[in-house]
Amino acid sequence: MTAALRRHGWSYVFVLPTFSLFVVFTLLPVAQGLVLALQDARVTGGTFIGLANFGTLADDPVFRQAIGNTVLYATVVVAAQVTLALVVASLIQPLGAKSRVFYRALFYLPLVNSAILVAMVWRWIFNPNPFGLANATLGAIGLGPFLWIGSSDQALLAVILSAVLTIPGGGVVLYSAAMGSLPRELYEAADLEGAGPFAKWRHITVPLLRPTTLYLVVVYTILAFQVFERVYIMTNGGGPNNATITIVQLIYSTAFQFGRYGLASAMAVVLFLMAMVVAVAQFRSLRTDVEY
Amino acid sequence: MNSDLTISRRRFLQSLAAVGVVVACGPTAAPSPSPSPSGSAAPATAKPVSIEWWRRNYTPGSQTAETITSDAAVKGWRERNPNFTITIQGGPFGPETDQKFDIAILQQKAGPDVFHTTGGDVLKYAAASQLSEPPLTDAERKDFNPSALQATTYKGKVVAYPLWIVPWFEYINLDLFKEAGVTPPKDGNWTYDEFLAAAKKLTFKRANGKQAYGFAHANDEFAFMLIDGGRPYDKDVKTWTFNSADAVTGLEKWVALAQAKVMPPDFLTLNPNDSQARFLSGDIAILQRPSAMINVLNADKNWEFGKNWDIANFPKAKGDQTAWGGVGFIAVREQQDADKKAAAHQFAKYLTGPDIGPDLKKQTPPVEYWLAPAGRTSAAGIYGDYHPAKAKVAKMGAFTYVLPNVSTWSEIDQKYMRPARDAALEGKKTPKQALDEVTSAAQRLLDEANK
Repeated sequence: MTAALRRHGWSYVFVLPTFSLFVVFTLLPVAQGLVLALQDARVTGGTFIGLANFGTLADDPVFRQAIGNTVLYATVVVAAQVTLALVVASLIQPLGAKSRVFYRALFYLPLVNSAILVAMVWRWIFNPNPFGLANATLGAIGLGPFLWIGSSDQALLAVILSAVLTIPGGGVVLYSAAMGSLPRELYEAADLEGAGPFAKWRHITVPLLRPTTLYLVVVYTILAFQVFERVYIMTNGGGPNNATITIVQLIYSTAFQFGRYGLASAMAVVLFLMAMVVAVAQFRSLRTDVEY
Repeated sequence: MNSDLTISRRRFLQSLAAVGVVVACGPTAAPSPSPSPSGSAAPATAKPVSIEWWRRNYTPGSQTAETITSDAAVKGWRERNPNFTITIQGGPFGPETDQKFDIAILQQKAGPDVFHTTGGDVLKYAAASQLSEPPLTDAERKDFNPSALQATTYKGKVVAYPLWIVPWFEYINLDLFKEAGVTPPKDGNWTYDEFLAAAKKLTFKRANGKQAYGFAHANDEFAFMLIDGGRPYDKDVKTWTFNSADAVTGLEKWVALAQAKVMPPDFLTLNPNDSQARFLSGDIAILQRPSAMINVLNADKNWEFGKNWDIANFPKAKGDQTAWGGVGFIAVREQQDADKKAAAHQFAKYLTGPDIGPDLKKQTPPVEYWLAPAGRTSAAGIYGDYHPAKAKVAKMGAFTYVLPNVSTWSEIDQKYMRPARDAALEGKKTPKQALDEVTSAAQRLLDEANK
């Protein structure tokens, strides 16, 4: 151990600049958030109140609604996006090298768009008036018009649909890259056994992609828990009757509109715990010892 | 022993995911001069003094109304007081600038010498003893609109200068009224029943297939709940009263508009810009918006006042004639430097007084200073001189209900009142049920504000 330290200790010098930035701009703010969560913090300062903020949150129906909306959004969107990424990557994989590069770029390109602009487009698509794209399209086949973001019954559905209908380019690229490195021998063996394309995909590709799936599920879950701009732009914040209010939306308004920094930090701590518990569960259910 | 430190892709992806979890928390030609009893323009001081003015939406070199009027105001003041140097600092409307104000004034006890502010912030800064009390004479006190002065009163003391009152009223598309055969309200006055009947007739499909809606609002105020005399608080601002019988019947009148489907289907999420755009595109016959929209319509050559559009009062029902509105303030920050503080008060009086309008009108090109009706009688006349539409609404300040200052209002409003209102407008709850349900939370927040 000492020999290893002596031999490799100097390596930490190279890590130090990045680690320092990580400590200053990530770990310390997270620690400060934990401290603020235990205070009645306002912009002028705060006093220590123990776990009172968490008691306030437990009694707050709006916060409970925000948790429910966030969990529902994350559950549906993560499942849909991971599945969609896997399916699209699988469809791209058999193509020639140039075509694969083209489609990877095609699906990844929308990610460079501003999330705000994308949300504004979705706001127009799900506008309850006949000129909204969804209503205009469905109207052509005799359906609707639907109220979409104008109704507390449909607003969250519209927000979820806007996320589900956006092909997750990052996931497609990751899956596509992972598929390219799967061992060919397994497929050759399956060919000899007479397995069809779906059987090979189902019994070889999908299981071997579990590390990538785990990564995508965890990252997409965290991103889904943090959903903000889509809800903020599409439904003016929490939507009709708080129908689309999410935890981060509530953290934003609690901190920057109501000036309750302590309470907002307590919400952030709850969000952190939720993300951690879910991530641990995902690690446990999706981990694999299979290496390739 | 050679220890090779390797990491598999699986470990790498797991590590990335774990780090992700941690990071997860983590203007226009102006009017004739109307010099009025002043007192605001103090004589030039012999001693040079430099002060800083913070103004939201001020962007040097831009053509925003706030930038044009602010630059012109400084120019006007310096012509009267050449020994003053005034530096303007800007920032967009929004939470970032609010936070900049808060950090400077409340934490660092520094920042602006004089600044524009709004209702909730006045109380916040006053509570932190960061506002310098305006040295108003009795004549000046009487000159200010009483409700505006009340809105800037903290613990019995006036803590800022009321600048202007921003009343909401009804913009009327005269072309749609003509098309639907509806007579516009005479002198801009109508009852709620006349208003509802007009909105129903004005909701129709036009010959080109385009749907017109009788009425729309930008979903940012509670005007209808005042129509029968309902008010959010009692006179002492100690008790939440927005569930009174008058408030409930007011909300019922609002709900009746939704039930009659005279509003566009996205009325619950219609934001100000969208609502104005829909009015300008001819989709909305009556639009409820504040006074600032007059300049929007004046800037569009397709919209001629008196020919294509007009202004009407908020409809009247059981209560006194009322308009919902807001107030803007000019505040002076408390500080040790007596010279700066005195200079800031002189400038604040000028910004809110009767001399600034005529001063800016004399500039080349003339600048329209008052973006909304003034908060004091002696300065009110010139707003009406700017434009016939403004003359029509200038007197509305007198019956505008200005929300009393309650520091927790934004939380009451956004977290409880808007969802309650939405539930009633959607028909998911009766108005009484919706308003009763928010009473305890609203009272708790009101009590907190009164501590």
